[in-house]
Amino acid sequence: MSPAAVNAVQVLTIALGAPFVSGAVARMEAVIQGRHGPRILQPYHDLAKLFRKETLAPRGSTWVFVWAPLGAFTAYLVVPLLIPVLTSYPLPLGYMGDIIGGGFVLALAGFCVALAAAESGGPYAQLGSSRAMTFGALVEPSILFIVFTVGLITSTDLPYALAATVRSSFGEIVRPAHVLAAAAFFMVVLADTGRIPVETHTGTLEFGMIDEARAFEHSGPLFALMKWGSAMKQFILYTIFVNVFIAPWGLASSGAPQSVALAIAALFLKALALGAVFAILDNSFAKLRLFKITDFMAAAFLIAVMAVLIFYLGGG
Amino acid sequence: MSMILAALLLIPFVAAIVSLIGSRRAAETVTVAAGVASLVLTVLLMPVVDRRGTVHAGVWLRVDAISLVFLLATSFLYAMAALYAIGYLRDASAPEEDTIRHVRRFYAGMNLFAWAMLSVPIVNDLALVWIGIEITTVVSALLIAVEDTDGAAEAAWKYVVLASAGLSIALLATVLMYFAGTTALGGSYEPRVTLLVAVGGSLPPTVVKLSFVLAVLGFGTKVGLVPVHTWLPDAHSEAPTPVSALLSGSLLTVSFYAILRYVQIAQRSIGPTYPRTVLLIFGIASLLLAALYVLDQRNLKRLLAYSSIEHMGILAIGTGFGATIALVGIFLHVLAHAAAKATAFFGAGSVLHKFGTQDMRSIRGGLDVLPWSGPLFVLAVLALGGMPPFGLFRSEFQIVTGGLAGDRFALTATLVVLVTLAFFGLTLFSTRIMVSPGRDLPPRGEASGWMVAPMVLGVAVLLVLGVHPPADLQRLLELAAGELRSVR
Amino acid sequence: MAHVPTVFDSVANVIAVGVLLAEFGMFRASMVDSQLRLYAVQSWLVAALAAVVAATRHVPSLYALAIVSAVLKAIVVPWIMLRFLHRADVDLARISKVRVSSIVLTGIAVAAIGFFAIGSLRIQSPVLPSAALAIAAGEVLVAFLLIIARTDIVSQAVGIFSLENGVFVASLVLAWGLPILLALALVFDLLVAVLVFAIVIRSLHHQEDTLSAEVLDRLKG
Repeated sequence: MSPAAVNAVQVLTIALGAPFVSGAVARMEAVIQGRHGPRILQPYHDLAKLFRKETLAPRGSTWVFVWAPLGAFTAYLVVPLLIPVLTSYPLPLGYMGDIIGGGFVLALAGFCVALAAAESGGPYAQLGSSRAMTFGALVEPSILFIVFTVGLITSTDLPYALAATVRSSFGEIVRPAHVLAAAAFFMVVLADTGRIPVETHTGTLEFGMIDEARAFEHSGPLFALMKWGSAMKQFILYTIFVNVFIAPWGLASSGAPQSVALAIAALFLKALALGAVFAILDNSFAKLRLFKITDFMAAAFLIAVMAVLIFYLGGG
Repeated sequence: MSMILAALLLIPFVAAIVSLIGSRRAAETVTVAAGVASLVLTVLLMPVVDRRGTVHAGVWLRVDAISLVFLLATSFLYAMAALYAIGYLRDASAPEEDTIRHVRRFYAGMNLFAWAMLSVPIVNDLALVWIGIEITTVVSALLIAVEDTDGAAEAAWKYVVLASAGLSIALLATVLMYFAGTTALGGSYEPRVTLLVAVGGSLPPTVVKLSFVLAVLGFGTKVGLVPVHTWLPDAHSEAPTPVSALLSGSLLTVSFYAILRYVQIAQRSIGPTYPRTVLLIFGIASLLLAALYVLDQRNLKRLLAYSSIEHMGILAIGTGFGATIALVGIFLHVLAHAAAKATAFFGAGSVLHKFGTQDMRSIRGGLDVLPWSGPLFVLAVLALGGMPPFGLFRSEFQIVTGGLAGDRFALTATLVVLVTLAFFGLTLFSTRIMVSPGRDLPPRGEASGWMVAPMVLGVAVLLVLGVHPPADLQRLLELAAGELRSVR
Repeated sequence: MAHVPTVFDSVANVIAVGVLLAEFGMFRASMVDSQLRLYAVQSWLVAALAAVVAATRHVPSLYALAIVSAVLKAIVVPWIMLRFLHRADVDLARISKVRVSSIVLTGIAVAAIGFFAIGSLRIQSPVLPSAALAIAAGEVLVAFLLIIARTDIVSQAVGIFSLENGVFVASLVLAWGLPILLALALVFDLLVAVLVFAIVIRSLHHQEDTLSAEVLDRLKG
């Protein structure tokens, strides 16, 4: 397959596979809790249903309210071009942006959603939006230091490079900088996808809602795009974590259709394994009180800083 | 001869066990006996060390001139404190059962304390020195808290936390010195002091410097050097009097002994200048702070505690000067300070006992009320201030001479000024409580002869040390100074 | 850019970082139970490090040390402290006076100072990577910060114990060949210290009827 085709398949995998991962994780959570749980393909049905419904906009909202979900969705479609989803070698469009670029695009998506939520005038949406922005800002230093670590280890900041480095030897896997950066990134993923102990993924406890609340005022296809975008964001973060940091194996090394298909299967397997871990964590810990979330962010920051410092100490 | 070393270690330990299980009489007797026996044994060691230089017992125990000075000071105080404690504990008016438990704990603690303090100069191993000092910390913490008074638990807590933190730093220093030794002695060896001194010249300088600074900081916590002295005033003022005497008179100096060993090793590796500078810095800081605090004290024992910090600062400064005469001075200072501080604390104990308070603003007319301990206390305080003809004057004079000999005029001048300042503070407050007439005085008379006798001995020793130290002793001091000074 | 450390070096450094992170974790633990549990975790990590060194560098005496220190520090010490506390019948939850996130940031700064101060001396040990020594130095400084920041005496005591853990790691790097007798004497010595701590805490609790360190301000000047 030509590189352009592989690129397209990458985007499609993320876009179409995201609801599946969401559904599977929700099912795993329910099973651990002893319930039967929803159908694994339930999110697809939800999206289909939502696309058929009508759109309502609050009075006083402008074009931002309508276009923001589209903007976010587009951004989420762009990011898979930049990260190693299916291949171990960088695809042509993969040079469009590095890790920092990918981070910026993800932040752009979050910004669009927050803007729309703030614009809507609904109290819960604004609550969620402001909280998301605050905690997002607190997570940024950790992300920065993780990026620094990646840069220090590989002398570039292409995610493909780190994946290649981790694959290269066992020593690279256990090196302290890498272990710590991976741990910090795990905590960042946890915070960004809205999981325990930062937020309850299911349910609508307004005292704790951050991400979930932002889509409160949207309806119909716009809401579908928001939900889809959020599921894509989760899948993207999972992909970055497994394909760059901890398990960069199973990626296609050529454009041959079989390897690409295998790579897709491997990706889903790894993402579901990670989802299982998150599901177990969900059921093992309690949610932190809102103002204790800063402790969590501080811990992630601590680990990320340690990763950089230990690199400079010569030990990692 | 080597039997003496083993005996010195065994006797206090046995005394502790006997005190724990015997009657009050037995505990008293065995403690005094142990104290006197240690003193006698130590004195017996003097001519041997004068003649041969060191006394060995296997490879683990070794007494040279430096150790012997500290052993003398400690065993002398052991005997004195044991005598004092008899009188001190006899006035307990609590019910019999409680008292006997308290008495047993007290004497057992004192014996263990003395055992630990005596073992530190005898063992020849840096790690064992550390362990010995750690044992002194835990035992003395228990002794400080043994009387369950209001401030005692607080003082014991501060002491144990700060001393443990300091000793952790000292452990780091020990380990660093061990590491320095591995370059010359291989990966695994016994960190004997003699061994490290012998290979001192080939130790890596950076590691030794770091180790030395950490040692001064860490062991300095137990010596009472500024800025890690903050536990000292509390601990020494809240402890029972015999324990305060042992703490101020012996424990501080035994911890300084550890620093001296590090000086010995370090100066062979990095030369004498660096260790001396470090000690001078800490010494001047301690002296300055102590002198200033002495001027502002209300509590009698706290005043004496700050005076201890002052004298430890003088010890550090003397070592920092480095001239032979200064080093002779510091070893004499160790002995004289032990005697003077103990006597002063015993007097303070009698005052506290008689007047019921340590607050100097409300104590007057001490000389009228305490016919023996009053004047003796005044003499001891004058001695602490550095007044001739007592031993501390001689030692401080020797240190000042050493400073001038090394061309350190500014520092020597500072030393003299600060010591004078402290002298004013000390004598002003303590003589005021003794000499000024007062009203509603408690009945005249000493509480117990046992509490007076050690004070008489102390002052006598001070006079002897000041007027004419015996020739043996003089030789011993010079030998010790020579050992400390040698760089090859 | 830089070389990749060997697997042994990496594992040792990761364990050392674990010790440091446990120290930071104690900042967060507001209940004494969790603090003691973190101390136990830290002690296990330290014992693991000793065992790893014993295995790969062929220093068999360290096995004994690892086992003894694990038993004493990870099991006996928390047990003693908890028993004393429960007998003293005391409310075990305490709050630190400074907010956790601020003090974690201060701790990072302090640890970084320790790292680079010791790291700049370039002390090379044949047994453990020199980064482990720098991490241990950082841990010691953070333990000091912990003691300062805490307002109850049990936390201060646990702070002192974790300080000893840091010095233990440093001594693994620097004094791996210390004769086993001395090393064991050191560990037992710490046990005695713990007993004394417990006794003094009990006596203080008996006097003041509280375990907060803020009442310890009677002796001043």
